[in-house]
Amino acid sequence: MPAMTNRKLPSDKLIALGELMKKVAVDRDKTAFASLFDHYAPLIRAYSLAREPGSDLVADELVQEVMTRVWLKAAKYNPRLANLNTWIFTLARNCRIDYLRRNSRYVTEIDPTDIFNDMEDDGPGPFQLAQQTRAEESIRAGLEELPREQCEILTKVYLEGKSHQQASEELKLPLGTVKSRVRLALKKLEVLVER
Amino acid sequence: MDKPQNHPFGELLAAYSAGSLPLSQALCISAHLEHCDSCARQLQHLNRVGTELMQQLTPSKASDELKNRLLERLDSLEAETPRHESARVDSSIPRCLRQFVDSSYGGLRWKRISADIHSVELCRDSNGAKVELLKIKPGGSATTHTHLGDEYTVILEGSFSDESGLYRKGDFVVKDKNDKHTPVATRDSECICLAVTEGPIQFTGPISRLLNPLIRRSYA
Repeated sequence: MPAMTNRKLPSDKLIALGELMKKVAVDRDKTAFASLFDHYAPLIRAYSLAREPGSDLVADELVQEVMTRVWLKAAKYNPRLANLNTWIFTLARNCRIDYLRRNSRYVTEIDPTDIFNDMEDDGPGPFQLAQQTRAEESIRAGLEELPREQCEILTKVYLEGKSHQQASEELKLPLGTVKSRVRLALKKLEVLVER
Repeated sequence: MDKPQNHPFGELLAAYSAGSLPLSQALCISAHLEHCDSCARQLQHLNRVGTELMQQLTPSKASDELKNRLLERLDSLEAETPRHESARVDSSIPRCLRQFVDSSYGGLRWKRISADIHSVELCRDSNGAKVELLKIKPGGSATTHTHLGDEYTVILEGSFSDESGLYRKGDFVVKDKNDKHTPVATRDSECICLAVTEGPIQFTGPISRLLNPLIRRSYA
């Protein structure tokens, strides 16, 4: 399990980052971009290292890919669709999927670009959710109260990028247990939509 | 438009949100999402889970060299990026499938499987799963079969029913190796599905069973 800290990101910090983002999008401000880099590059590296511990080159490549997209797609970023942290997470995830596909031993022609959208204005199914910050705070609080084994499984899936099958092999648990643990964790975090 | 009634389980959507799902399955989720507001909303919550988990990681400092190299390149980045115009396509085709379907389903090279069914293989995933489109004629039936692995289906056009219910446009259906089923398209229109099979299907009829060795070979 990668090291975790309970470092909180206060929402005024997020607002400040949002202001920098606006400067990048509107004024093509490189100083603002450098500040965004200073904040996000270490997190993107940590995300990459969670999947491939020790691979500094891979981590740097991911930083370069994600921050390149931030620069190029800045004008398309819509803070009402996703806050900046979520946008960076989806970009990092999408870049990692791309990287793994290009470097996989068994190639596939499936192009992930149109499968995972980068949460842009022209993406499919935009949902503008109010109270985004509140939702994020409640997820953050929920994660802290999650039983250890549920937190562990979410970490495996989200940060280490393990499939349910791989997680079941590593944790020596039946596949069904892995799936139900994920489901229980999501229920506790109250992120499952009622239907 | 009727809302889909059959959705992927939360843990499957979470794996999609995490990016840890095989691309063939992610393709099915993506096709379903285009029809399903409720899952799209759910996905937003799930992306926030990933976001918060990422925020809790211990940051790992990036070198100044990396930063400066990127800063120097910023001006030339735009020029390097190819702009691709999206081709004019039938808008009823889900965005994620346009990489395989140029203009319309009709323009694909359908292969006859039986009197009732045509199929066209789109690609293989790196785990060997087969990604194909299936077309069942109105009122037509697929041979009763089981699967050696899981089968993921998203209904793109029309509807079909089997032993466990009626499935309509946008519905997401998973069958595992214990599910024996006989899909039958409804009589009013043909049914087109996106299907991902992790292992070859197994025909269970007395005569169609003879096809099994041939089908297995096509997965080798």
